[in-house]
Amino acid sequence: MTIVRCLLLMFAVVALGVASVGAQDVVKLGQIEAQTGPNAIYGWMSSQGTALAVDEVNKAGGFSVGGKAYKLQLIALDTRGEPKEATVQLKRLIEIDKVKYVFGPFLSNVFLAVRPYAVEFNGKILMWGGATRIHDYIGTPDHDFLMRTWNWDTGPNGFGELMVDQLVKAGVKKIALLYQNDQGGKVMEDIYVAMFKKKGIEARLDYFEPGTKDFSTVLAKIATWKPDYLFPGYADSYIYDIVRQATEAGQLKKFFLVRGSLGPGLKNKDALDEYVVYVPKYFEEAEKKDPKVQKFIASYKAFYKRDFPYDQAPLCSSSCYDHVYMLVEAMKKAGTVDDPAAVKKQLMSMTYDGLWKIRFDEKGEAVFNFDVVRLRKGGAIEVTTVNPK
Amino acid sequence: MKLGTTLFVLLAALPLAVRSDFVLTIFIFTFIYGILAVTFDLIFGFTGQLTMFHPAVFGVSAYATHLLVVHAGLPFWLATLPSAAGAVLLAVVVGSICFKFRLKTFYFAVVTLAFAEMIRLIVLNWNSVTNGTLGLVVSGRPTFWWPGAGWVAVRGPVAWYYVTLVALAVTVLVCVRVLRSWMGRCFAAIRLNEDLARTLGVDVFRYKLLSFAVGSALASFAGGLYGYYTGYIDPGYLGINQSMEILAMVLLGGQGTLAGPIVGSLILTGLPHVIDLRGELRAMLYGAILIFAILVMPRGIVGSLVAWRARRAA
Amino acid sequence: MTQLVLGQVLNGAIIGAMYGIIALGITLTFGITGIVNFALGEFMMIGAYATYALAERAHLPYAVAVVPACFISAAAGYLSNKAFFRFTRNNLVNGLLVSIGLISIFESAALLLWTATPLEMSYVLPGAIRLGDVGLPKMKLVVFGVIVVVIVGTYVALARTWLGRAAFAYAQNPEAAQLMGVHTPRLETAVMLYSTGLAGLGGALYASLYSLEPAMGGVYVLKGMEAAILGGIGSLMGSLWGGVILGIIEAVGSIFLPTAFRDAYGLAVLVAILLFRPSGLFGSE
Repeated sequence: MTIVRCLLLMFAVVALGVASVGAQDVVKLGQIEAQTGPNAIYGWMSSQGTALAVDEVNKAGGFSVGGKAYKLQLIALDTRGEPKEATVQLKRLIEIDKVKYVFGPFLSNVFLAVRPYAVEFNGKILMWGGATRIHDYIGTPDHDFLMRTWNWDTGPNGFGELMVDQLVKAGVKKIALLYQNDQGGKVMEDIYVAMFKKKGIEARLDYFEPGTKDFSTVLAKIATWKPDYLFPGYADSYIYDIVRQATEAGQLKKFFLVRGSLGPGLKNKDALDEYVVYVPKYFEEAEKKDPKVQKFIASYKAFYKRDFPYDQAPLCSSSCYDHVYMLVEAMKKAGTVDDPAAVKKQLMSMTYDGLWKIRFDEKGEAVFNFDVVRLRKGGAIEVTTVNPK
Repeated sequence: MKLGTTLFVLLAALPLAVRSDFVLTIFIFTFIYGILAVTFDLIFGFTGQLTMFHPAVFGVSAYATHLLVVHAGLPFWLATLPSAAGAVLLAVVVGSICFKFRLKTFYFAVVTLAFAEMIRLIVLNWNSVTNGTLGLVVSGRPTFWWPGAGWVAVRGPVAWYYVTLVALAVTVLVCVRVLRSWMGRCFAAIRLNEDLARTLGVDVFRYKLLSFAVGSALASFAGGLYGYYTGYIDPGYLGINQSMEILAMVLLGGQGTLAGPIVGSLILTGLPHVIDLRGELRAMLYGAILIFAILVMPRGIVGSLVAWRARRAA
Repeated sequence: MTQLVLGQVLNGAIIGAMYGIIALGITLTFGITGIVNFALGEFMMIGAYATYALAERAHLPYAVAVVPACFISAAAGYLSNKAFFRFTRNNLVNGLLVSIGLISIFESAALLLWTATPLEMSYVLPGAIRLGDVGLPKMKLVVFGVIVVVIVGTYVALARTWLGRAAFAYAQNPEAAQLMGVHTPRLETAVMLYSTGLAGLGGALYASLYSLEPAMGGVYVLKGMEAAILGGIGSLMGSLWGGVILGIIEAVGSIFLPTAFRDAYGLAVLVAILLFRPSGLFGSE
């Protein structure tokens, strides 16, 4: 009996809490990301940055649109990376919370599950996330509600081709790809195997199971092929171990990455020869020169009272801090908070200069500046910032 | 039976009173998982075999149903039949191996788990057929015949609610028939004391296999329904955590009963959405509830209720 | 090719030893107290994170940090037993459910405290020993050595001492053991403490080799269970052999057959063993 009472009490407290927020006019932002679970890397930073931005906006007094004052309310739900969870959560956000602006998802399997439901609200909501699979749907009929908030690898402003061209210039002949056997890995395969072939570099692909910690066997197999570079998967949780084990075994010492952070390279800097990585922003460097970045870091530390996660921060390039501010600006320009289609129109024509310089291409996919970081043995770092046109 | 019919009528009337898509969705998932839980209980609670093979049946039939619809042009309901047959075939093969070798509870669980994992790995890597980790996007809809309107597609939460409710009801009815028959009596005998049952002339191997096959056949329908409802099938359907969820539902609700698994399914499906806490705190509460439930009510909610009523009557 | 195979046999043996120490925990708990502690992976995780905290945050040298980390895991094990596990003796299903609940709780707690970001400790003993083309990290050899010593030590301690005989008497017949003067609740607590402490040690050693995540325990408890069954539940040395054999099968299997099916190789062998020799390779039924 006590547990029922406890549950009821908790429910009442929460309901009271939620009700009391509605005092001022509020624009609700929904978020479906994996805050916990094995793929939390692709949702955690987004949830951190969004919450911070919402808090800042509200502390500054909110914003006004069409003469009325508004505050933001963020309803961030943890999908745990599970499509089933996310479907119910999205229904709850749209139906019960009457949310019109949805941040996320970053995970493709979650996106695929919620898409059929979201389509039924085409025109009534705006959903923008970083999921790679969103690329297949933006700009298609019935998907006007959809935008993608991450850079795309190929295409005129793509970073992938730029990175591969660097390898070509360096005279690379053989590259070994080692990807996670899941959505992200398969999409990477589609993009990069074709690209390497086009550019005349011989590529070999091996997959590993999610959850693998010991890569000795597959690395040993790859080493017998004697590639020039190793191109490991996309989640830091694996790259740390791959780079460490590869350099320890001593045969694979050059690394090329288009996902993941610089962290693994730094950790193993004395054992490797070279580590080249695409990073939305190399925060350690940016902090020195960019006042906006400094402000962000300071705000983060004050708000969360913990160290700034430098290696995860680049993931705030998708549906995160900047995007809250972009949305507010778009609502102001559109003169309405209730019309997602009008707001989207404004977003599509904006260039926002925040932590990143963000604009959207004609289909609704983000284009923003990024860094290419080259780390050499011993720790020498060379950062090249690329500003897409 | 009376209780069951009353419950069915109440549930059937629910969408008339409750308009919320959100609540209906929770019930839809409850019903689909309810099918899995009830059929699992048939094998576990009634026959005493702790099987970890259910997710394999669930996942394989989801894929099979969709592939048959897309490549063989079968309508949904027709496609579920060969899928069920395929699931039963798998179950019979695995079951035969396990039961032939007379594996005891714990080892039976481990071997069924091992087989389920191996099948999952095959599904995960057989890209040409299953599209591997990318999964399959299901855009079709089951259709049924409605007087006056002809063949109508199942669309919207209310329609899905009724479809899944009926599916669950049919599953429960079949289980009731099976359990009340000579099969059910043999299952009970095996559960209570396998060796004794054997000496009494019960063909233990045959009945264990029957229980396993029937449970798997019925569970396979859940696979097709779930795939079409969520619109997306991926190898995660065959994962170990599905086994854990089903087990938790059955134990929480009450093993050895038919209502128990459904109650368990409702609670565990709805709970995460009622508790409005941060992700991690919610998961901790979930774990605490599970532990609390099993230690305080080892017979599960329905089981404890039944026992309490029996004590009062005495 | 032979170098590759030889290298992977060695590597597989080392990884297998890690499975073995968890397997030992499982076999001791299940064999002596009849409790199924499926949450043993979580105690491994506690040991790993505790080592990380002590070594990285409190700046203790690694070898010094390992000891308190094991005690912390053991303490968590003690509490879990006192509150929950001891009520699930000989009840497989209840034990399983309690384990599932605990896994949820511990993993979420770790997420709250540490977040999902993988944490890497500073390298304890970097560098590798080279055998021709094969490089075997020094730390892995140390880990292997420690595990072997611990498992053999446990075996000797239990096989040759009064405590050990008491433990097995208890496993056979608790009432009789009690009548013979074995203090049974204390024995049960001791087994829980030791097995979770072992898991903690496994975690501490794991931390020196790989990055840490809250979900790390899940794989190890499954592999540990496989190894324990392979070697034979109740057989102490069997847990080490089971682990090593499992590790080697997985590693060597992955050379010739696709790596994607690595888990399946061990599973297939496990199924075969269970069908034809359910008591495992070294167990006695």
